[in-house]
Amino acid sequence: MKFSAKELEGNLNVSPTHPLLDFSWMLGGLIAIIALIYLLLAVGTDLVVEQIPIKAEVWLGERGLAEFPAEADAELQQRLERLLEELAADSDLPEYKFRAYLSSREEVNALALPGGNILVFAGLLDVVESENELAMVLGHELGHFAQRDHLRGLGRGLGLSVAAALLFGEDSAISNLVSRSLLTFQSSYSQQQEEAADAYGLQLLAARYGHVAGAEDFFARSVATAGSRATYLFASHPHPAERVIRLKQLIAAKKYPLGKLEPLADHFTRPATPSAD
Amino acid sequence: MILTNVNSVPGKKIVEHFGIVQGSTVRAKHVGRDFMAGLKNLIGGELKGYTELLQESREEATNRMAEQAEQMGANAVVNIRYATSSVAQGAAELFAYGTAVRVE
Amino acid sequence: MADLILQSLDLIIFLSLVILGYISGSMAEKKHYRSIIQREKELLKLPVLTAEGSFRAGLVKESVLVTGSAVISIDYFKRLMAVLRNLFGGRVKAYESLLDRARREAILRMKAEAKSRGAAIVVNMRLETAAIGKNADRKRQLGSVEAVAYGTAVIYNPR
Repeated sequence: MKFSAKELEGNLNVSPTHPLLDFSWMLGGLIAIIALIYLLLAVGTDLVVEQIPIKAEVWLGERGLAEFPAEADAELQQRLERLLEELAADSDLPEYKFRAYLSSREEVNALALPGGNILVFAGLLDVVESENELAMVLGHELGHFAQRDHLRGLGRGLGLSVAAALLFGEDSAISNLVSRSLLTFQSSYSQQQEEAADAYGLQLLAARYGHVAGAEDFFARSVATAGSRATYLFASHPHPAERVIRLKQLIAAKKYPLGKLEPLADHFTRPATPSAD
Repeated sequence: MILTNVNSVPGKKIVEHFGIVQGSTVRAKHVGRDFMAGLKNLIGGELKGYTELLQESREEATNRMAEQAEQMGANAVVNIRYATSSVAQGAAELFAYGTAVRVE
Repeated sequence: MADLILQSLDLIIFLSLVILGYISGSMAEKKHYRSIIQREKELLKLPVLTAEGSFRAGLVKESVLVTGSAVISIDYFKRLMAVLRNLFGGRVKAYESLLDRARREAILRMKAEAKSRGAAIVVNMRLETAAIGKNADRKRQLGSVEAVAYGTAVIYNPR
């Protein structure tokens, strides 16, 4: 038998496409999938949220409250609730019975929990200087109820994690990347919600006091501790400086008058805690 | 010991068959090598340490097989086949088997 | 800006690993292919068959088993590509070249051994491929591949 050596040209066993081209195609596909999931989730949650009865919300709210130890201070609670009631008096809020809870945590924040429960952190009461300022923060939380944001956020968060786990498994670099980019979408959505809630709060403030003085005070005060703007790119809330600007623009556009600030009555300060901390 | 992976020993005549002989070894690499391999897993390229290790292990498996054949009184192993399998994380089995024979 | 970098540190590490993997991986691959093609030319004259040859009496002086093996590692970019391919299906090019390189390298080493022993031909060559390394037992990931080539080198009597 004769053996003749032959050389082969090219390499048939390796596909000729350039890896970067291949990569960009797949990246594009991945982005399309993410966008699709996100759209489906958005539409889905919006549909579902409209259907959730307030009763179910109240049940959820009780669960949520259990996570934050509330401080029993009936008097302060009542005052906060009265303020809430006054604020909500002439609004188109769904039929919630608003309840205020006081948490001893030092955070400067308030939280809208399902079922019309508003959790006020002690740190917030320490910081605010006028009743108008406090009313603005509470009005903002009422804005979340008006849009039922607390439910939407819950639904989307749940949907996102389920979708990511189903598609990409639990631990892989890809799953990490995808849930990260989904969260980025999520944060831009949530920043819009916050802005809408600010606008709603402003409206309530104007209705209650006849003017909107003190509306941006709280956010202006937070600017100092907020850090640089870039870090807020993926945050759930807009940068406070941004919010001050938006509020000022709104006030100018709607021609709300500016009046005198109501001092924060003593009864809104936090009760002295017995333990010195 | 003559080793081939064809049915016979080319140019020689088989006079006696002794049946199957096999040799195997399970090897794991040490942490240092594993660490280097981890680095290589990021940038690609040949894992020289692994290549050497597996080649050594394969030789060991072959030697064990040859020893078995010797015990049987054979002077050649024909039709040798190799197999590699990952039995556990970080360990691999190298396996060689063939037919022990005696040639003229 | 510094805050932003700190905040997304893991993302930045991930991206730089992908870029590092792509650059070094494709450089290693190109270099390897160049060397493979060059050595294949050098060893072209040594016949290798997957069939058992038949030899006339008195021709064969000696026959020996020769082997050659190579473990080729994946890089970070290739792994990402493979994971993405798991979503979309289709040809996993990243692994095609990995396996191709490992097999050709293994055959070349086997041929080099046969040549150094003065063989005239290698018959009944067989190839084995196995996944090796940390990720070998995980379903979705491949760490590195080992290819082994072995055959019987036949050395002729001097005429």
